[in-house]
Amino acid sequence: MQAFIQPGFWIFVLVMAGIYCIFALGLQIQYGLGGMMNFGHVGMLALSAYTVAILVLTYGVNIWLASFIGVVIAALGGALMGLTTIRLRGDYFAIVSIAFSEIIRYIIQNSDTFTGGTQGTLAIRTKDGGFHTYTESLEPVLTKIEEFFQPVFGDTANRDFAMLVIVWVAALLLLWFVSRTQKTAWARVLRATREDDHVPAALGKNVFMFRLGALIFGSVLAGIAGVFWSFQFSILAPEDFQTIVTFYAWMILIMGGATKVKGVPLGALFFGFLYAGTRFFEFPPFTWFSSSERAYLRIMIIGAVLIILMIKRPQGVFGKREEMVLES
Amino acid sequence: MSDFVQLLFNGLVTGSILAIAAVGVSIVYGVLKLVNFAAGDFLTLGAFVTVVLSVDHHVPFIVAILIAMLTVAAISVILEFALWRGLRRSKAGTLSLFLVATGVSLIVRQLILIFFGVGSRKFDIDVVRTFEFLGAQIAYSQLIVLVFASATILLLGLLIAKSPLGKGMRAYSDNPSLASVAGVNVDRIIMATWLVSGLLTGLAGVFQGMVQGSFESTMGWMLLLPIFAAVVLGTIGDAYGALVGGFVLGLVMELSTWHVLFGGVPASYKPVVAFGTLALVLLVKPEGLLGYKARSI
Repeated sequence: MQAFIQPGFWIFVLVMAGIYCIFALGLQIQYGLGGMMNFGHVGMLALSAYTVAILVLTYGVNIWLASFIGVVIAALGGALMGLTTIRLRGDYFAIVSIAFSEIIRYIIQNSDTFTGGTQGTLAIRTKDGGFHTYTESLEPVLTKIEEFFQPVFGDTANRDFAMLVIVWVAALLLLWFVSRTQKTAWARVLRATREDDHVPAALGKNVFMFRLGALIFGSVLAGIAGVFWSFQFSILAPEDFQTIVTFYAWMILIMGGATKVKGVPLGALFFGFLYAGTRFFEFPPFTWFSSSERAYLRIMIIGAVLIILMIKRPQGVFGKREEMVLES
Repeated sequence: MSDFVQLLFNGLVTGSILAIAAVGVSIVYGVLKLVNFAAGDFLTLGAFVTVVLSVDHHVPFIVAILIAMLTVAAISVILEFALWRGLRRSKAGTLSLFLVATGVSLIVRQLILIFFGVGSRKFDIDVVRTFEFLGAQIAYSQLIVLVFASATILLLGLLIAKSPLGKGMRAYSDNPSLASVAGVNVDRIIMATWLVSGLLTGLAGVFQGMVQGSFESTMGWMLLLPIFAAVVLGTIGDAYGALVGGFVLGLVMELSTWHVLFGGVPASYKPVVAFGTLALVLLVKPEGLLGYKARSI
């Protein structure tokens, strides 16, 4: 129980929640507005996170420029995915999008010299021939933020605290921006395409381009989440980017109600707690299991939450039922 | 040339396993409009139940396989009562079904890890013993899998084409309301679909374990996407298409590593080749090899 009263634990939960909030926001655009069941979202996260690491380590690029390029690469990934899959019907789209992100993961895993392969980014040799983490140039910035908050928060203001500030400032800005876009004409057309292909097409709207736009917009958000992910962890490995990460984002989106932007941060907070919090369940019945078994239990709980949610409240906690049943 | 024969043979073996698993996924989609994400983990479950029974408890191999197949089928039927029936009645959308299936798959995989551990297991069969055929080294275990898989596929083809059950399944997946008006017993069809699909999935898992030699808890998930690729390739919901798709994909995956073809792709990229093939087919013929429309716009 001790972990629950330690601020460090809650800070970590909040950082993860913030990153997943931005990530799931991408799905909100793609599915909540555009009705596209993208199950390959994690691919774009992986693309941008790895772009940051590789550019900084192999080519010595400034980490901020590398982050920007990372987001651009994620957007290009989304565009490529869209060009090959948008014309497919819902269930086909879902399957092929999973395939898309798995291809990205396989390539990362098997390009040893470029990405470090299964050993992760620590195995990428830098220009000087040594091995480094790519976040070395980021640390002074984080330290400055820590020092800024130390007078108020004392020792609580650690590296994670600095990340928390950065991630949630970005998340709130993006939440504001995305909720603004929900009221635009662009979003209205997208919502129309979600319900029916032919009516917007008959009204002269290019359904393909609207969907492509939504896919790219969502991928940019995944890319931004990927940048923060890379900042937070300093080391990347291919197994961090399995399809299950996409499912986490789906859980967040569905929990908050897919059509509601304000549901996303709440879903993300709940997920962050479930994901990180269950590591610290040190009381029965959890103590009956070993720590690795508890890791399995955590994923089982997430699976069970998904199932119960879909059966009891498919529209989410805040969603409107009418807006959800139309899609199928 | 001997390389080619070798890869051709490997392709047929992989293809036959993919075909069996793909039919299991495809009939479920055809009848229930459900993309069964848990299929991969049921594959693993089949292999693990078999290995525990036959290696740890000395149950005869064939009996162990049958029990494993029945276990997977039983769980599929239980899930029908516990989950799918209720979701169908509440008219759950594609996404709901997708996510519930994902939840099931996550739970099954974790249960496998808890009950059977993280380590890799192997059957008590000799996977090293080979014989030479046209210059290719063929393992007896592979040959056995191919023979039994082919027999299963023939039987399955007959079942779907000739038996009242198979006809009912096809009728129902083509047009549910027409089929029920015409006197097809819907509940029976759905039960039979889960049963057949479960048996096939369990069997495919055992076959894959035999061919791999050793396997661990991620075996099924690694195979799931090639299986989906086979299903989509053969038009989702079409059992014959899934058979064809499985074989095509198995052959393409293995032959892509042939060095004569531009040096061949590294073996670790085989799944990528599977998806590449799928993407290509969907771009050119989005309805799948045998099928009708998949494009919405």
